[in-house]
Amino acid sequence: MSRQMKLLFCCIALMLTMIAPTLAQDAGGGRAMTDQEMAIAAAVAECPMDESITLAASVPGLNFPFFVHMMNQLVAAGEGLNAEVIQLDGQNQSTKQTNDVETVVNQGVDAIVISPADVQALADPIQAAIDAGVPVVTIDRFVEGVDGLIAHVGAENVLGGEAQGNWILENYPDGAMVVNLQGQPGAGPAIARNQGLHNVLDAVAEQYPIVVEQTANFARDQGLSVTESILAGMMDNPPDVIVAANDDMALGALEAVEAAGLADQVAILGFDALPEAIARVADGGLAGTVEQFPGGQSSTAMSVAALYVRGCLDEAMVGQTIFLTPVLITGDNLNLAERIGEVEGM
Amino acid sequence: MNQARTDAAITNRQQQGVSIINVLSRFAPVIFLFVLMAVFAIIEPNFLKANNLLQVARQVSITGLIAIGMTFVILTGGIDLSVGSLLALAGMVGAVVAKGGTANTLSLTTTESTGYGVLAAILAAVAIGVLGGFIQGTLITRLGVPAFVVTLGGLSAFRGATLLLSGGGPISGFEDAYEWWGKARLPEPDGIPVPVIIFLGFAVLAHIILRYTRYGRQVYAVGGNPEAARLSGLNVKKILLSVYVIVGFFAGLGGFVLSSRLGASEAVAGTGYELTVIASVVIGGTSLFGGEGNVLGTVIGSMLIGVLTNGLVLMNVSPYVQQIIIGLIIVLAVGFDRFVKSRRSV
Repeated sequence: MSRQMKLLFCCIALMLTMIAPTLAQDAGGGRAMTDQEMAIAAAVAECPMDESITLAASVPGLNFPFFVHMMNQLVAAGEGLNAEVIQLDGQNQSTKQTNDVETVVNQGVDAIVISPADVQALADPIQAAIDAGVPVVTIDRFVEGVDGLIAHVGAENVLGGEAQGNWILENYPDGAMVVNLQGQPGAGPAIARNQGLHNVLDAVAEQYPIVVEQTANFARDQGLSVTESILAGMMDNPPDVIVAANDDMALGALEAVEAAGLADQVAILGFDALPEAIARVADGGLAGTVEQFPGGQSSTAMSVAALYVRGCLDEAMVGQTIFLTPVLITGDNLNLAERIGEVEGM
Repeated sequence: MNQARTDAAITNRQQQGVSIINVLSRFAPVIFLFVLMAVFAIIEPNFLKANNLLQVARQVSITGLIAIGMTFVILTGGIDLSVGSLLALAGMVGAVVAKGGTANTLSLTTTESTGYGVLAAILAAVAIGVLGGFIQGTLITRLGVPAFVVTLGGLSAFRGATLLLSGGGPISGFEDAYEWWGKARLPEPDGIPVPVIIFLGFAVLAHIILRYTRYGRQVYAVGGNPEAARLSGLNVKKILLSVYVIVGFFAGLGGFVLSSRLGASEAVAGTGYELTVIASVVIGGTSLFGGEGNVLGTVIGSMLIGVLTNGLVLMNVSPYVQQIIIGLIIVLAVGFDRFVKSRRSV
């Protein structure tokens, strides 16, 4: 990066800090910010950021569009905080991510922002980093049994699953047959999202039975083939709602439902609010998708890390869990979707 | 006299026994497939509906296509672990050509095709597959690096190239002519899906090549005993190179068909396909040591895996249990095949 570019970024960073308080009120296009987020934004505005710092950003795997977006947002947030960001791709393997963490600790990075691939496998390297004096913020995914985390920033996946369940109760007051497409068995978000849906529907299981429950491993081709197989067994009596634990599976299910000529009868709910899913919510293909604000999470996590490194983070805020409230995006509140700008013609 | 008749009876009985074993050994995978289908049909009548069976055929057509190519490779005693990644790369290149760029913004307005048309996309996808196969085949034959290692490298490198090309996100929104290859049926709307026609067409072609041409016999010869093949004047390196080009061709074609089927090219497409493909070939009776097997067996092997997955979902078996059952049946099918083959030599 040339000197002029660096200077430019400094200027942008400075400008951002000046307008940060105004941004705080309606960041994310009308999304309501929590008190914690407002406090962090205010602290960022007051913290002097003349000195450049180096932050490592590690995600489970850049083969998932969700994490590509998160990484882009982490890097963008870093630029606004006058922080150089080292990008680390875990390639969906705990061992790769462990090695990455060990490498940047040896390298002498100022802080690490990490979305751990596994709740347990990453505990040791993260604890080792903290013990070596490198502050760590976890984002989106938890890690278990680690002492001394600066913060965890995330969206409560269980609440997202509950939002899907509540949409069904509201839109099918007389009951509905539900098909549940689960994520990759054993993955944290898959377990939590499934839990959220069951939290709502199990209490009213007689009216809202989950008639089929299958995994499609978060993959679009499996979302398609599993839904085809499910529908083959239910052609005489198709389900009312298909709930998918991510958008890829929902988009695959949509292909199967449209091919079976059931698009008018079966509503599909996705999760993650990917641009493609937002576009399909807009044109009525999908009934809705859960937005967890990965961009909001990213900027909050990077802010907390930068504040801590610069000594600006309030004692009381250290060690907290910062949750952003997930929102179900439907045709009525499309403007809340974080990535709506990536959909052309909106 | 009596003695002679008894002897004759014994010989007769032995001959009958031998011929039953012979029949069994030839048709073991087919018998296994029909037994499985009968079991599913009894438990879940919807399984046998024509539409469901056609869907199963379409679901296996992409891994089946690659399995045809993999049969050539395994017949020579080789292996190709890179097929899933090469499929993703070819599908992505095809999508880029069809769209005229990597811009993956989604448009809600009518898509004006600014790309190069579907035929160019098919050619590009297949060319990438062939090129990938050629590079790997060259490394294997010229440098003498084991196929397992070269294609393990390809598994990683092709996936990386796909991510680099696409920026991690999916490309979608194709013209109808592009999606025809994956979604159409002949005749519409309940005829045979186009991917199935492609799959079976190439299966017949490959069968004829392997069974009735000189090249086909050379492939068997190289796998059966490479040293003897070399001494008898065969250009072993050239034949080995050719089988990796062939499997690359099928991975490229499969990449295009999958992209067309899903209406999207994803960087994560085809993850883990190598295992399904190799399982299809091996279940079909082709020996991993080379020199023994055929394409028709591979088609049956592909169908067997498809029937299993479909049937278990139709019966709503727990996803966890499904994985155990699939694993057991793969071992059982191959075990049965080996058992009857070992009896044949008695």
